[in-house]
Formats: sequence, C-alpha cells, structure tokens
Amino acid sequence: MCLGIPMRIISIDGERARCEAGGIERDVSLFMLRPDLPSVGDFVLVHVGCAIQTVQPAEARTAWELHDAMRGGR
Amino acid sequence: MTRPPDRDEAAGWLDKIRRLPVPNRFRIMNVCGGHERALTMAGLRTILPEGIELIPGPGCPVCICPEQDIHAAIELSLRPGVTLAAFGDLLRVPANTVRGQPRSLAEARAAGADVRPVASPQEAVAIARVETNRQVVFFAAGFETTTAPVAASLLQGVPDNLFLLLSARRTWPAVAMLLESDAGGIDALIAPGHVATVMGPEEWAFVPGRFGLPTAIAGFTPASLLAGIYSVLRQALEGRCFVDNTYAETVRPGGNPAARRCLEEILDIVDADWRGIGMIPRSGYQIRTDWSRLDARRTFRVELDHSRRRAGEMPPGCDCARVVLGRIAPDECALYGHGCTPHAPIGPCMVSDEGACRIWWAGGVRRRSRHPAGVEADA
Ligand code: SF4
Repeated sequence: MCLGIPMRIISIDGERARCEAGGIERDVSLFMLRPDLPSVGDFVLVHVGCAIQTVQPAEARTAWELHDAMRGGR
Repeated sequence: MTRPPDRDEAAGWLDKIRRLPVPNRFRIMNVCGGHERALTMAGLRTILPEGIELIPGPGCPVCICPEQDIHAAIELSLRPGVTLAAFGDLLRVPANTVRGQPRSLAEARAAGADVRPVASPQEAVAIARVETNRQVVFFAAGFETTTAPVAASLLQGVPDNLFLLLSARRTWPAVAMLLESDAGGIDALIAPGHVATVMGPEEWAFVPGRFGLPTAIAGFTPASLLAGIYSVLRQALEGRCFVDNTYAETVRPGGNPAARRCLEEILDIVDADWRGIGMIPRSGYQIRTDWSRLDARRTFRVELDHSRRRAGEMPPGCDCARVVLGRIAPDECALYGHGCTPHAPIGPCMVSDEGACRIWWAGGVRRRSRHPAGVEADA
C-alpha cells in the first residue's frame, strides 16, 4: 500500500494520466503536480494512484561525490 | 551524467563502504517499510561489513494504527447501510475483542459486513459514486505519502455519501520521540525517501542538528540505499553530520509544495496515539472543522469505547511495539514463527506488507539470527 512506483506516462487527459511500469498500466491522478504538469514520456512517482513527484535524472548520489571531486578524488 | 546500471552502481557503493574503516558497531535505523523491504530482499545485511546493523524502526503505518481505530472501522462496517472501503492491508489487522465479535475487518466481512479493499482513494470515491444508496466510509491509515493523495482526492470533490475515517500519522515526530527516549541506541538514520519527496528533506534537519546523528535520505534501489549507508558512515568518520540526499531523482528542496498544500487545506496537526507506543505530540492529522461533513468520526458519532483508549494494546504476547521502536529485531519476539506467521498473524507487524515481521519472514529469516536471506531456516 505504501510503496511508490516510478511509472512512465503514456497518455494524458486533463489532470489524469495513463501510466505504465513493468507491463502494467494504471490510471494516475496528476492533481498534486499542478501547475507544472508532466508530459507524455515523462516518469512520475506513483503512490496510491496519485503522482507525488516527477522523476528526473539526478547529478550525484551523495554530497561526498562533490566533496571528493573538489578535493581531487578519493 | 549517465549512471551505470543499478547492479554495477550498487557494487561500486559496496566497494566504497568496504574500504572505509567501519566501526565495530554502527547501528543505522530506517523508518520506512519500503526501505526495510528493499534492503531485506536485496540481502544487504549479509553483504555489508560486520559491525553495520540495519534496524527497522517505525516505518509501517498499519502496524501503529491504534486499536481503537480498528474497532471504530469494524463497528462502522457492521452498521446497516454502510460500506467500508479500506486500504487492503488494514483488513487483516487484528484487534482484541470479546469472544464472538469480529476481530478484524476481514472477520466483519465474513460476518456479512460490506467491506471492500481498495488500493487508492479514487477507488473509494468510485465505490461511493456507484453505491448511491449506501454510506461509504473510507478507512485510510498512512503516513504523509498516503495522506496527501487522500487529501487531494477530497479536494477534487467527492459524492455526498463518502466519509473518511482517517488514521494518518506524521513520520518525523515519532523519530524525534524515539531519539529523545533512547539517544545513544542509534548511530545514524536512513530517512524515508517518499516522505521527503512530499514533505521536503528539511524535515529531517533535526536529526543531525538536535541529535548529532548522520542522516541520509535514500531511495529504494540497492544503489541508493548503499549510497545512503556510505554517506552516514563517512559523516560519522569525518565528524560532520548533515542531511545527505541519495534520492535526488524525486527528493527536491521543499518537497512537493502542491502536495503539502493539499494536506494543509483539509487537515490539522494533532497529538495522536500510536499502537503499542502511546501518544506522540503533533504526530497525527485530523480533518479540519470546516471539512467536518467528510469526517466519519463526527458524522457517525463513533463512540470511542473508553476501555479501548488504553494506548498500546497489543494481542497477548505480541512484541510489535518494541519491534516498531527498533528495540528488538522481529525474530526476537517469542511468537515469531511460533504461532505468528503471515498465514496466521498475531500482531499487525506480521500482517502488513510494510511490517518488519512480515518482511523478515518473506526474506527467509526463520530463527534468531540478525541476517535475513535464508540463514538457519527451520521451516
Ligand atoms: S512476530 Fe507476530 S506477535 Fe511477534 S512482534 Fe511480530 S507480529 Fe507481533
């Protein structure tokens, strides 16, 4: 119940989206992503039928990567 | 930057961890059933250097849902004309009752109550739209990640015959309570990635700030969890604590402001009971008075049986409360596997998919061992 799943948007109708992950499709509410609604092809994190955030590529895993890069690696 | 596939990335983090001078004993608590599930299923306890203990803490909203709320749901479900929709995990949660009374929503259903498991608030709304002649009570237990979608669905407008029986809790006050009550027992915290996605990483600043403990918000892949473990170890070794974020894909400063607004518009923050633990200040949500039409407690005048208000009631012999607080490991409960299994659960921690007892059982832990993944199987 409490597990969030990243899903890919395959179509959008207003504030609802059809999303897919691992071959399973679901209707997902985009209500909590207003006003910057995502687009078809974007990934969203879905929790109890609701997108709670868009998923974006992240630069670094931990602050230590930056810290070490600045100090010349470790 | 493109990342290596998760397995290679995870191996890289594990390698980095192994090269650190890991202390003899380093206890890292997680407070999310999703984390506990991910790290148990990946077998992380078996591959990390000895000395690192991964401790499941209060990460299961179903496990701490107060007994009186389970009773209220059972009682409402048995009223004529009422349909009770509940997140599926709640159906089998046992409560202590007098002989002959249903002990759970599943038993109430067997006794003829119209109880429907749902996976989302939208499903509860859909039931109310179809069952126009019935009063539909949506029993929702959950942390911020579940509560925000529930609030959002109410804000979008619901039929007049839908009511909410809310048992929602906030995560960080329980962690604060726990750290206050046994500072020293835990060396670092892996903070919950999805709660932080909604509420923002800032909520966890008190852990390094007030308690001086290394903290990392992690996601749910082995790579993200291992990066979090690496980060808290480095923080401890370098004597510099902060809130690191190994789940930047979705955890951004301030969280999700629209989701937080949904919570604020409909709910007030109140003191709340946690099953087996007791009252924790400002740890729960309650429907605001201007939305009281929706509140099943007010509309149906759910009388709290005062004998039931004794916080902390657990089935006899069940050690869930100490499991939830991370004071004992699931397999240290005398009933674990001896009377209590997912087939015949005695306590809530063996019922819920997010309960530590159930996760450890699913992960293959059978007897007293601290190493999930198939050690000492006796079944
Ligand atoms: S093993 Fe069963 S009885 Fe023991 S703490 Fe876990 S849920 Fe409760």
